Amino acid sequence: MNARPNAWHSATSRLILIYGALFALWGFVLVGVIQWETTRYLNNVIDQMLLQRMHYIGSTEPDRLPATVDAASKIDPHGIMSVGLFDHEHRPLAGNIDNLPRALPRDGLVHQLAHGLPRPDRDAERVRARGLASELPNGDILVIAKDTSTIDGIGAIIRRALLWGVSLTIIPGLLGGFLLRRGPEKRIRALQEATDPIRQGDLSKRLPVSRRGDEVDQLAGIVNTMLGEIERLMNEVKGVCDNIAHDLRTPLTRLRARLYRTQQQLEGQPEATLIEACMVDIDAVLTRFRALLRVSELEDRNRAACFDEVDVGQVLRQVHEFYAPVAEDRGQPFELDIQTLAPIRADAHLLFEALANLVGNAIKFTPPGGQVRLRASMDKRGPRVDIIDSGPGIPADERDAVTRRFYRGDNSRTTAGSGLGLSIVSAIVRLHGYALDIGEAGTGARLTLYCYALAPGEKPGTCLSRSVPEVTPAIV
Amino acid sequence: MARVLVIEDDETTAREIVAELSVHGMTAEWIANGREGLERACQDGYDLITLDRMLPGMDGIDVVAELRRAQVDTPVLMISALSDVDERVRGLRAGGDDYLTKPFAPDEMAARAEVLLRRRQPQAVQRLRVANLELDLVSHVAYRDGQPLTLLPTEYRLLEFLMRNSGQVLTRSMIFETVWGFHFDPGTNVIDVHIARLRRKIDTAGQPPLIHTVRGTGYMLTAAQETASVTP
Repeated sequence: MNARPNAWHSATSRLILIYGALFALWGFVLVGVIQWETTRYLNNVIDQMLLQRMHYIGSTEPDRLPATVDAASKIDPHGIMSVGLFDHEHRPLAGNIDNLPRALPRDGLVHQLAHGLPRPDRDAERVRARGLASELPNGDILVIAKDTSTIDGIGAIIRRALLWGVSLTIIPGLLGGFLLRRGPEKRIRALQEATDPIRQGDLSKRLPVSRRGDEVDQLAGIVNTMLGEIERLMNEVKGVCDNIAHDLRTPLTRLRARLYRTQQQLEGQPEATLIEACMVDIDAVLTRFRALLRVSELEDRNRAACFDEVDVGQVLRQVHEFYAPVAEDRGQPFELDIQTLAPIRADAHLLFEALANLVGNAIKFTPPGGQVRLRASMDKRGPRVDIIDSGPGIPADERDAVTRRFYRGDNSRTTAGSGLGLSIVSAIVRLHGYALDIGEAGTGARLTLYCYALAPGEKPGTCLSRSVPEVTPAIV
Repeated sequence: MARVLVIEDDETTAREIVAELSVHGMTAEWIANGREGLERACQDGYDLITLDRMLPGMDGIDVVAELRRAQVDTPVLMISALSDVDERVRGLRAGGDDYLTKPFAPDEMAARAEVLLRRRQPQAVQRLRVANLELDLVSHVAYRDGQPLTLLPTEYRLLEFLMRNSGQVLTRSMIFETVWGFHFDPGTNVIDVHIARLRRKIDTAGQPPLIHTVRGTGYMLTAAQETASVTP
């Protein structure tokens, strides 16, 4: 089971967004440069025009200047090009500029008018303008200005073009990106789904490869090749283990049979005890071989035929009844707490075997006088079974290793057992698609069997009922 | 003397089976082919058949299925190298009465054979009795020397199995399979603990012990004491 990936975590989405942002930024820069260059050019043109007009009007005879200024201003009724003549006290003498623009230096150079210029055809609305002022030899001031709103209009046209351009590029781009993302995302999801059984240990599965032969297919092909090689090596290792176990069982069984017959013949003699000790050792080896082959048998996953609706509570009661005398003999209170549980699809025999192994371990590793608790409850996703003890617990760095074949932790080296119990449990859990979590409860161990599938990395659900209490270590 | 038909293609295994059954006072005849074994089983009245799964001529599953179709109800102990639980289920569903996986301990095989032979005898009794131990199958109450014993349900089932097969060695796996109904190796001393608890209730002080440990094999409930060493 895989959680649906966040749309924005998709590499395609990210690339489209980054590309879109870069495209928009580049568009803005490009249009900005065009606008700036255009404005600069047009301003130069206007400046030349203003300087020529100033040169032309300024060279008029002083007595004819007011009339020339008036004539020049009448040529342009819209006031696009304004001309004004002011006396040394800034009173207007001629032209269509009512007031001498403030802060306009009288240096004969063109400047942007800080407060713009009123347009007579627009109810004296001030517009941006450039102009220049020049002080004449008689002290009068000649001002010529030109409305530059045309340039602003051109800038606005360029900006609108940019906006439309970006909109018409980015929106279809994003839409296309969204649609394009669905294809790769669908393929990635198919790959994720294909990896689920592989992650759960089924190395016979392979990743899907399309006929496109693109990078994803090449990568899937590489992974499939790796999986094939891993499967081959695993089968070789497993095969070697299984063959050793399988082939040695027959001679060992025959040896045991001979020892048994000899022991029967020597009944009552001292040698019989020695032979019995040999038989105990052979039985221990045979038990390990049986367990090893049992793990392999379970890992071959051919037992789904026995799956049916199972009452976990009923199985737990059987397990509790089976182990209660053992716990009692060890002076261990062995509690059973079963809440209302939903039925599950399982193989009841295998579920019993797994739970019996877990409970057997809890009793075995908990010192005499300690406590063992078997509890079943419902969490958000389904039934869970907690086996909690007050023993030494399983160190955090050993929790992954304890389900490996023949692994014996530091706490279990001196305890009887094949080292295969948790391997069998693990195989049964995998066969059911359940999850086993090894944790701690106080100083002891807490093994939780989730009777449902957990997604990789998913945190187990919270108990809907009261939380699992720790087992209080008994005072011995 | 019980007559047993051994249908087994491997000569070494067949010799082992025949030898062990002979030790236990049975007459065994060996057939190495499935089809011939089926014909012989249908013609002659055997008390028990041990049947291999993989045979030349006819598969063991087909042999037992044909036997049942032919109304031959002779108990069949299937012996197979196929240890998968599904194979066991297939064998029992086809008509087998018990299933033993190769390689097997001969004493385990013989014990299962004897239990199957005993199962053929009429079971319509209301009370089982071994020495002064009685078990009322109707009221589910056990008595020792006339005194009722308080037994838990599992202890009752365990005692019934031991008493129905009194004088017969029962291995731990046979006890686990019959009393609890599971087919795997519990791998611990749980069966011994259950037997010990039952023994504490049955073999009380002053009473001759009835539950005996057969070293290297399992347990036996019997009034006789010459063949078994008793665990204190």
